[in-house]
Amino acid sequence: MTAFFPLYRLFLRHQVTAGRLVLIGVLSGVSLLIGFVTGANVDDFERVEVAVGISSVFGLGLMVPIVSLVLASSALGDLVADETLVYLWQRPSPRLAIAAGAWLSSLTVAIPATVIPLSASALLTSNDSGTMLAVALANGLAAIAYTGLFVLLGLVIRRSLVTGLAYLFIWELFVARVGAGAAKLSINTYPASVLAKLTDRELPLADRSMVVGIIVPVIVPIVAVFLTQWRLDRMDIA
Amino acid sequence: MTDTLPLPTPPPPPPTAWPPPGATIVAYDVSKSFSGLVAVSNVSLAIEPGVTALLGPNGAGKSTLLRILSGQANPSSGKVWVAGGNPRSDPEARARIGLVPQQDGVFERETALEVVKLAAVLSGLDHPTERARDALQTTEMDPDLDRGIGTFSKGMRQRVKIAQALVHDPQVLMMDEPLNGLDPRQRRNMTNLVHTLGDQGKTILISSHVLEEVERFGSHVVVIANGRLAAQGDFRRIRSLMEDQPARIRISCDDARPLAAALLHSGAISGCILQSQTQLEVSTTSVVELRRYLPHVARELGQQLREVMPLDDDLESVFRYLVGGQS
Repeated sequence: MTAFFPLYRLFLRHQVTAGRLVLIGVLSGVSLLIGFVTGANVDDFERVEVAVGISSVFGLGLMVPIVSLVLASSALGDLVADETLVYLWQRPSPRLAIAAGAWLSSLTVAIPATVIPLSASALLTSNDSGTMLAVALANGLAAIAYTGLFVLLGLVIRRSLVTGLAYLFIWELFVARVGAGAAKLSINTYPASVLAKLTDRELPLADRSMVVGIIVPVIVPIVAVFLTQWRLDRMDIA
Repeated sequence: MTDTLPLPTPPPPPPTAWPPPGATIVAYDVSKSFSGLVAVSNVSLAIEPGVTALLGPNGAGKSTLLRILSGQANPSSGKVWVAGGNPRSDPEARARIGLVPQQDGVFERETALEVVKLAAVLSGLDHPTERARDALQTTEMDPDLDRGIGTFSKGMRQRVKIAQALVHDPQVLMMDEPLNGLDPRQRRNMTNLVHTLGDQGKTILISSHVLEEVERFGSHVVVIANGRLAAQGDFRRIRSLMEDQPARIRISCDDARPLAAALLHSGAISGCILQSQTQLEVSTTSVVELRRYLPHVARELGQQLREVMPLDDDLESVFRYLVGGQS
């Protein structure tokens, strides 16, 4: 895998732009502000409940998927848009290295960019390290799954950012909440189940077992990386 | 009672002169269509080592054909074989191909050395930094230039693109408009480099719509018109085979009128235009015949021939005849 590290480094460098850093900074700031304000105003017996609710709605429902989308959809999507993918694609190195490099570079930025502020926010609200760790694990799992999915989306669809936002707001936040069947196809419900189990709280549609809640977000990006490789092998390059 | 006659033995297949055994790029019956629009239609060609120019009017399908041959695009039908394999599915074949794509985009944030080194690493080369430095120096780029390609001029980007295509010393080099953005000196040097690589036995396919540039690369051409192969080979030989397009030749002599009459009478020319007292333009379907008759006729008339100049055996004329009014 000598090809992996140079590719990973290239993707990493190209994903971190000033605009994306501003977005991450704003969302992190909002997350910390929410934690600070709620932590100062909530009663002690509600702290964990409120922290889990905030993490579920703001973290898993908004911040993690949006940061993952913005980073991961650009990993290969930008190279398709500016027609530079050919410089990687044309080489004899394994296409799996391109797919894996794109995903892991997105994850490298997405994990600290989301997990750290959301965990800090949860600690500010709950004043409980157990809750903080549960929030960190759940949001980390969500970032793992979403980045894999959105790397594939960026390669397959030209307007991946718009499509990704439509997916998040229409499917994940609306359709998937209508019924249990649709919820099985919602990534959000799996890390939410982990969060609910670890904090012993009730969350909407978060009724998966702990094992399923962990395994599915890990399987999703693995499948997505192989689909990305499959697509790279078959697509026409600009 | 009916006798069962033995089936006749099928005749042996004809000896296959195609593709030539030395061909490094072979396309067989290749077509490509986009949403019902045919960009390349039933193209079969074989390209041997040396420099070959891929010519065609804008929109003729030459870039699509180059993309198919380099593996970037999957043909809708037909087969492609380059440097020992299918460039889409065979990494070993891709390792023997260097590609200079048409688009300007190169990784904007990376330095020239980083981009070419990445190409070397992805090609599995030992000492990728040294190889990248060598490739950049070959294209007259400073490997130590410490700024992103986003700040480069078009010519500098072009030289980085060429360097990344050369870094792994490919057997087959495909270049789409390689002289774009280069200044006259760099163009001359790049043309010399291409000739050197061709002389070393590499196969170089250059797509261009600038005929003067192509003529400098050599005489071997593949001409695409309306997505179809219009001609392939040495353009002067292609010209000589165009029997429906009489060759036009300008002749300067002492007295054009009697010479024209004598040549018409001999049947060596099919028409002529007197341009001045001492100059005529003749058309002939047999240049060989004219070449034989002309000195005789001039001698018989006691005339001295001052100039015999073919007017339409240059690449531009050949190209114009092949593609009609599309250029």
